[in-house]
Amino acid sequence: MTIRHVEHVMGTVFSFDVRHEASERITSAIEEAVAWLHHVDALFSTYRPGSPISRLGRGEIVPESCPPEIVRVLARCAQVERDTGGYFTLMPGGRLDPSALVKGWAIEHASALLAAAGARRHSVNGGGDVRLGSSPEPGRPWRVGIADPLRPGTLAAVVSGTGLAVATSGTAERGHHIVDPHTGAPATALASLTLVGYDLTTVDAYATAAFAMGSAAREWVEEQDELEAFAVTSSGAVWRTSGFHRYAQL
Amino acid sequence: MARWVPFPEKQENGVTITHVPSRTAPQVRSTGFVARPGPVLVLIGLGAVAVVALWWRDTSAVVGAAGWLTNAGRITGLLAGYAMAVLIALMARVPALEHGVGTDRLTRWHAMGGRYVVGLMTAHVLSVIWGYAITDGQHVTDEAVTMVVTFPEMWEATAACLLLLGIGAISARAARRRIGYETWYLLHFYTYVAAYLAFGHQLATGAEFAGDRAAQVAWYVLYLGVAALVAWYRLLAPVRLFLRHRLRVAAVTAEAPGVISIQVTGRRLERLRAEPGQFFRWRFLAKGLWWSANPYSLSAPPGAGGLRITVKALGDHSATLAGLRPGTRIFAEGPYGAFTGRLRSRRQVLLIAGGVGITPLRALFESLPGELTLLYRARREADLVFRQELEDIAVARGANLHYSTGPRGPGGPFDAAVLAQVVPGLRDHDVYVCGPAEMTRAAIRALRAAGVPRRHIHHESFEF
Amino acid sequence: MPIRRALLAVLATAVGLVLLLSFKPHDVSQAAQPPAALAQKQSGTTPAQGSTPAQGTTPAQGTTVTGDPADTRWGPVQVAITVSGGKIADVQVLQAPDGNRRDIEINDAALPILTQEALSAQSAQIDTVSGATYTSEGYTRSLQSAIDRAGL
Repeated sequence: MTIRHVEHVMGTVFSFDVRHEASERITSAIEEAVAWLHHVDALFSTYRPGSPISRLGRGEIVPESCPPEIVRVLARCAQVERDTGGYFTLMPGGRLDPSALVKGWAIEHASALLAAAGARRHSVNGGGDVRLGSSPEPGRPWRVGIADPLRPGTLAAVVSGTGLAVATSGTAERGHHIVDPHTGAPATALASLTLVGYDLTTVDAYATAAFAMGSAAREWVEEQDELEAFAVTSSGAVWRTSGFHRYAQL
Repeated sequence: MARWVPFPEKQENGVTITHVPSRTAPQVRSTGFVARPGPVLVLIGLGAVAVVALWWRDTSAVVGAAGWLTNAGRITGLLAGYAMAVLIALMARVPALEHGVGTDRLTRWHAMGGRYVVGLMTAHVLSVIWGYAITDGQHVTDEAVTMVVTFPEMWEATAACLLLLGIGAISARAARRRIGYETWYLLHFYTYVAAYLAFGHQLATGAEFAGDRAAQVAWYVLYLGVAALVAWYRLLAPVRLFLRHRLRVAAVTAEAPGVISIQVTGRRLERLRAEPGQFFRWRFLAKGLWWSANPYSLSAPPGAGGLRITVKALGDHSATLAGLRPGTRIFAEGPYGAFTGRLRSRRQVLLIAGGVGITPLRALFESLPGELTLLYRARREADLVFRQELEDIAVARGANLHYSTGPRGPGGPFDAAVLAQVVPGLRDHDVYVCGPAEMTRAAIRALRAAGVPRRHIHHESFEF
Repeated sequence: MPIRRALLAVLATAVGLVLLLSFKPHDVSQAAQPPAALAQKQSGTTPAQGSTPAQGTTPAQGTTVTGDPADTRWGPVQVAITVSGGKIADVQVLQAPDGNRRDIEINDAALPILTQEALSAQSAQIDTVSGATYTSEGYTRSLQSAIDRAGL
């Protein structure tokens, strides 16, 4: 049994895949998760001039008077910025924009909502960032295909497991929108970088940072515990960190 | 006119010499295994076939220009690596080869093979780099740099390649003349270094060895085996000889102006198993002499008095020998050479000596069984050495002895008709020729023209 | 005459090389035989050499066949494939040379070629796709939308 729901929010598309009977409790959990996403969008969308984050960015309000979600996210962003040596930045291009972390954080919470309602077998995919719950069917894990950035419509690898967080940062649709905060130049060494871990907030933000690092990403991810990476370079070559085989085939 | 003058001079109507039944010096029967040239060449050829078969087995397809080039590179690389080992083995002073194939022939093979290996190696380097460059879509120079810098053991291989090219360059005749034999000889030892340096990359990057334990083991066996041969026969065996036999100068006598004989004694010389016709490499441990080892043949069969060598003063070294003091210790290596009684299969034997070539033939003249004739040519009568000894031997065993001196001229002394007349039944003889290269060549030409089969003409010449 | 002998040696070697090389097939498909176990697998159900992969998570359903190590310039490469429903469902690398930087580069370049053959979205039987963020418009063209549509 499968419940699927597709929601357009935050400028992208979220796909819910819940492998339970469509009970009252579970359907309302999905609705709650969807509502949560819209709430996050209202708070954090930099495309809405009136959103708290935009107003904060213009200096119209101070962090103390922001909703608690924003405060939490900002604190988290600061920590990630330290952890990634500045490759993840709260101020890409000089503008306050925590989007690189917000999406993952939002999905992480959505997944928690589903689990709390008893819908543990689920996967939530928000625009390519995936949070996996327990196995979809007894005896087999979730299988997450990693899109090949250079050959649209095909896969470069498959990650399989349960309870994983998978985020891919890349140039595929929006072009070279990720810049190296240290140089200001677009990060061009990689076509895409996929991080696999256990917490999507971290994984989402770290994936953006690692992508900005380019060729240095490999060594950096090797140093991180519990994180493994798979990347496709601009020339089509592929690399993975040494522990990636635990999660994936190729 | 340089005609052959018999000893004693026979008149047309003159005295006939009664032939005394042959009495020969005790034969040193050569025990020990010898390897004849034919089988050795066959063995080397089989090895080459095995090496190529390794490539054949490991290659499933040759695809495209890159495939042709890369595989040509692999074959030439394998053959070059194999040939290096063979060349070193040829020069390892293995008695079976020295006595069977002959030192001079081994040296010639080594010299020819050396040039061929340099060619193989060059072909290997060029085709592999080019083939890899095409596969990787790189320019050849970029590919070459990548290979040298990032592939395993390639710095060493590059050094080996440059060393071999350098040694090849200085071994060209023109270069050798300029730098002198001693210098060239020392520099040539860097081929060992090159072989050692190149070995690593053969196993590390060689496609035929990747994942093939048996092939790797075989390659190790080949190289370690050759190294063992070198270590034993070139390094340890001579030391053992030195310690066991304690060779030293017993006496130095003048044979003729500029020609001296050195009597060598020692302990248990019969264990050396030296045969008439063979030579040793002698290193006299005296000032000015200890740093070079020169080959001199035995000029008499080994006997109770020890070993005798006879040297003509040709250069610094030989001139200094005249001043050797009795008791001087000698570090000798040998016996070497295939120019022995082993080559003889016929009852009638002709010995042709020119100049200093008389030395080994003087020993053979005394020891070879059968009906002997010795033709001894020198530029001047005063240059003829051992006259008394040779004549004594001729009388004692009823052998024929002819001298020839004077400038060479048309019609003799190495003219087929002349030889046939001087030596009745010439074409049924086994012939030993020893002398300067040109004389040897002339003599062999005449012998062939007179109908002596090639396999019954034996000569030793050290020109390469 | 040494020059003539040298030329002869060069010529003989060149001829020998050309002969040796020309006797080999010049077409990879001619030369490459499918692993015997796999050829059998396509008809029967018993694997000739069934073995579970040496590493990795729970494999996809199907039967896993381990190929023989294949020699490359830099070392042996060995893969295991999982066949399910008559198609390749999974490819796993058991042995790949990684002794030096060049080896690792080769792994990175060569293995994806293998993967592309194996992993079309359908044969990989995936549940969801991770890729760089798409817009709402981009979504409609994406693999994920195909998967969502199939499930909805």
